[in-house]
Amino acid sequence: MENTEQRRHFFDLKIPLGSLLGFYGIVLLAYGIFGPKDIYDKSFHMDINIVWGILLIVISGAFLLSAYLGRKARK
Amino acid sequence: MKPVISLNFIDYMILSAYVLITIIVGYSLKKYMKTSEDFFLSGRSLPSWITSLAFLSANLGALEVIGMVANSAKYGILTVHFYWIGAIPAMIFLGLFMMPFYYSTRVRSVPEYLKHRYNEATRGLNALSFAIMTLLMSGISMYAMALLFELMLGWSLTSSILLSALVVLIYVFFGGLSSSIYNEVIQFFLIWLGLLPVVYIGLHAVGGFQGLVAKIPPDFLNAWRQMGSASQNPMGVDWLGMVLGLGFVLSFGYWTTDFLVVQRAMASENLSAARRTPLIASFPKMLVPIIVVIPGLLAVALLPQFKVVPGGPTPDYNSALILMFAHYLPNGILGLAITGLLASFMSGMAGNVTAFNTVWTYDIYGSYIKKNMPDEHYLKMGKYATVFGVLFSIGTAYIVRSFPNLMDYMQLIFTFFNAPLFATFLLGMFWKKTTPWAGFWGLLLGILAAATHYLLYQLHVLHYSSEMAANFYQAWWAWCVDFVMTIIISLFTARKDEKELVGLVYGLTPKVHSEERFFKRPAFWGGLSIAVMIVLNIIFW
Repeated sequence: MENTEQRRHFFDLKIPLGSLLGFYGIVLLAYGIFGPKDIYDKSFHMDINIVWGILLIVISGAFLLSAYLGRKARK
Repeated sequence: MKPVISLNFIDYMILSAYVLITIIVGYSLKKYMKTSEDFFLSGRSLPSWITSLAFLSANLGALEVIGMVANSAKYGILTVHFYWIGAIPAMIFLGLFMMPFYYSTRVRSVPEYLKHRYNEATRGLNALSFAIMTLLMSGISMYAMALLFELMLGWSLTSSILLSALVVLIYVFFGGLSSSIYNEVIQFFLIWLGLLPVVYIGLHAVGGFQGLVAKIPPDFLNAWRQMGSASQNPMGVDWLGMVLGLGFVLSFGYWTTDFLVVQRAMASENLSAARRTPLIASFPKMLVPIIVVIPGLLAVALLPQFKVVPGGPTPDYNSALILMFAHYLPNGILGLAITGLLASFMSGMAGNVTAFNTVWTYDIYGSYIKKNMPDEHYLKMGKYATVFGVLFSIGTAYIVRSFPNLMDYMQLIFTFFNAPLFATFLLGMFWKKTTPWAGFWGLLLGILAAATHYLLYQLHVLHYSSEMAANFYQAWWAWCVDFVMTIIISLFTARKDEKELVGLVYGLTPKVHSEERFFKRPAFWGGLSIAVMIVLNIIFW
């Protein structure tokens, strides 16, 4: 086995991770917008699903973008 | 009893997506599992950002999360000691000083190091105790988790146990350590993203940090100020017991010798990445109190059942986190929080299972039962070991169900093995005159010392101001006995030939000179980490 350039590690984890978080972001955002509103009495009338949905979409985008750029750089 | 939380279809959708992705990740790694090193050590090919998040995540099991939120509701800010003094110095020591011996010698497990440095008997003692304890702990945490889900979500005990065990079994069976590590990284993000909303809304509800400080008891606010004597702080531990017991023995014993965590670092692509693994992990580790200590404090400030009234009933601290979820999280985000908890549980369990199947296959089966078989045989054995490891954990979960007291004993007994082991490693790695049989007897006497101390405490011969203090001092004395006895016995028994110890002992091993740029050097990360830890301790003094 070579020391420096060993076998490439299996696959790019950022893709499944980014996709899962992106899915969660979309689900939460949609539920926050279209779902019932009375459930937010618990969270002091803050629609936490919209807030967190947007956050998750941003994080997911960062993972997927970095995976895309990494792949482009290798080619 | 009616469950406290009711999940709706959105919550279940979020939970199912998580289960699905873990299985997909596990299954898609199947085709890379060609040799036993692929299965047990990820072919030593992973980059350090992945191994370091997995390193942390394997330790962040659900029992740890729920237990530490409970500690925080019970003891306040003092709980940070488990994350700062009780983890960071040990993680840095592992990265800077011990990892070269683990990684460069190409040993495949912690017990295997003991075999090369000491002898077969020392390895056997460690491998056997580790394998048994790992499976028992995995069963215990499975039971604890299922019990909580039964009370809070109304899921039956059997369905929680079978669901979590089956998912872990599938992904570890196909993808081995890589699958466990990849999922641990996913789990790391889910634990943080799932637990942060309750911190965010809780702080909003209590009126920010100022509001929080005003609503919790004053002795909950400082990490060190009340540590002068055991009677002044809610934990009942003095600073010496904290530093020696938790900060030195228990923490170093766990982080530097427990194969569950060390295995993640061994999967790194090169020595430098292996050394960076615990060092990088130390930064998120220092931040974990945000998601465990703050929710505990918020529970005390916001939920009436956690106000301690003299003479009143003792609150059920273990339910603190879930009750916070129930009170403040609407559906949707609630599903994400429960997913985070389930993820933390699975990461802990998969960590146990992968550590077990490696130690079983290499150190027990491959050393005592069937030696010198072709590699495919051991790969297959690793897969079988995964299956019966999971089955054994399920069995343990049901035994604990009939004897719930076992839980408290097991946690304690675990420290019997971990605490003295660090003395055996310290002398083995840094004093070349330590002899093989001194290693074995020192370790055994250390374990017996812990058991004796425990017995004397139970029989009220020894007195401490709290159980925790007793536990910390027990670890310290077990370590001392191992350390002193190993040195004494070394003076009277035969040494190993120095040629055999090259690469295994400091002073007989050529130093590695790092020629990488400063931000890739382990010493840079170690120094930075210790500096941040000191600043945090001063802020929360």
